[in-house]
Amino acid sequence: MTNTKNNDSRKLTKKDVSTAAWRWMFFHHCAQNYERMQGAAYAHTLSGGLEKLYGDDKKGLSEALTRNLVFFNTEPQIGSIVPGISLALEEDYALNPDNNDTEIMASTKNALMGPLAGIGDSLLVGTLNPILLSIGIGMSEGGSPIGAIFFLVSWLAIVVPMKYFLFIKGYDLGLDAVKLISNERLKNMITSSLTIVGLIVIGGVASMTVKAPIKLAFQSGKMTISIQEIFDKIMPSLLPLIVTLVSYKLINKRKWSANKVLVGILVFAALMVALKVM
Amino acid sequence: MQLWQAMLIGLFAYLGRNQVPWLFGTTGGFYGVGRPLVAGLIIGIILNDVQAGILAGVAVQAIFIGQIVPGGALPSDLNLAAYIGIPLAIVAGGNADMAVALAVPLGALGVALHNLTMTVNAMWAHRADKYAAEGDARQVRISNLLGTLIPFIERFGIVTLTLYLGAGFAESVISSLPQFVLDFLAVGGKMLAALGFAVLLNQIVTERWMVSLFVLGWVVMASFGLTTTALLLIAIAVALLFVKATFGNNKAGLVGNDEITIKGGDDDDEYEE
Repeated sequence: MTNTKNNDSRKLTKKDVSTAAWRWMFFHHCAQNYERMQGAAYAHTLSGGLEKLYGDDKKGLSEALTRNLVFFNTEPQIGSIVPGISLALEEDYALNPDNNDTEIMASTKNALMGPLAGIGDSLLVGTLNPILLSIGIGMSEGGSPIGAIFFLVSWLAIVVPMKYFLFIKGYDLGLDAVKLISNERLKNMITSSLTIVGLIVIGGVASMTVKAPIKLAFQSGKMTISIQEIFDKIMPSLLPLIVTLVSYKLINKRKWSANKVLVGILVFAALMVALKVM
Repeated sequence: MQLWQAMLIGLFAYLGRNQVPWLFGTTGGFYGVGRPLVAGLIIGIILNDVQAGILAGVAVQAIFIGQIVPGGALPSDLNLAAYIGIPLAIVAGGNADMAVALAVPLGALGVALHNLTMTVNAMWAHRADKYAAEGDARQVRISNLLGTLIPFIERFGIVTLTLYLGAGFAESVISSLPQFVLDFLAVGGKMLAALGFAVLLNQIVTERWMVSLFVLGWVVMASFGLTTTALLLIAIAVALLFVKATFGNNKAGLVGNDEITIKGGDDDDEYEE
């Protein structure tokens, strides 16, 4: 297999690659469906480059479009590197069909989409997005729009350039991009720092958001003993913390579904209200 | 609610849906304006009550904060939950608790709609197949673009109609709720946020000790009443300490070790020869 990039072995211009990157940026989920997921979007993204590569060769173009319409599914934002790599491989193949084969293109896609879906879902969608949302919730607590605006602006400012950059990087590096993706050390560093920042910030915002105020108070002579005050003296918002951690334990250890915990919390709340505790 | 308001909210509900290209794909769409926090702001502006919108957005967002979408299968449709739940609660004179009460069942209902759309939408892939066989790249692109049509009809149509026709009904239901139910919604609605954070914890925590970081953030915030930005800076400092201690200054290791091979673990690797 030859995937070494000599400049004279290229036919696609910077603009062609950029167009493809923008096509992925916008259209990656247009025809998302359970059968092919992002398959149609994948072909859409590469189609411009393929048209140029195959020119009047209708048969070549038809084959290229068809092989890119197959099932593809990844986290589209971090995964934008994959169609970038594919574009480079398609170019190699179109320009030099004897030294390249189509199998490597299919197997590259298939090998990368799973791991990248994992990284993207856990890091980007599962950690970065909730961190920014948490900060936004914290800022918007009193009903101020600042937090919502902060979330939207910061999320777009981070992810849009990243998505574009990864696509271009994927094209530039071709198969070498696989090394970038499989850099465990870098991945661990990013994961640990995001996780730590995330957990602390999310913990703080959760303390402002989860509430379980106790109304119950005892009357003894002229003195009123409020249960809530006793709790507050131990630690502010202790009960909500307990409710959150118990919910987590039920999901994590007992493998309760989110819906089961939801019903559990509602039953507990109903009970507390009925007993006039809360 | 005016028809134009219902339509505008319906339009944003569509923009915040999964199969929508217009706002940088899912980045500005599903993960942007589709988030209940942002939905709250948008709905607040359209209904001319930004504060109520934001408060409801925050409450609904907290419940769904831990939700990711593995393989396109929604656990709960937070888009429908937010874009119907929040405006109905606002026009009916309800508060954030009411938005939560409406959002939870709507989220479950939305999953059925989502699954229907995701199934029907396969027709565009088949249309693309046909044109690909003819070598017509332009029609392949058009097929992909047309994929956003069904989600538009589904989301814009259902949200607009529900809001326009349902506002009066929601108002009469909410205003006739007995005190016990209102108390219950107030308590349950705020406690349900615990679920959102529990799901999120379950998703982020990979080693058990990490739960202590969540507790740290909670205790520091609850005890000292910091701003979120101040807490963020503390969190970054802790993260830097950890990274320094674990990975040191040795940059040499940054050159990767190839864990993912393009063989992908499957049994045919003939292309290597």
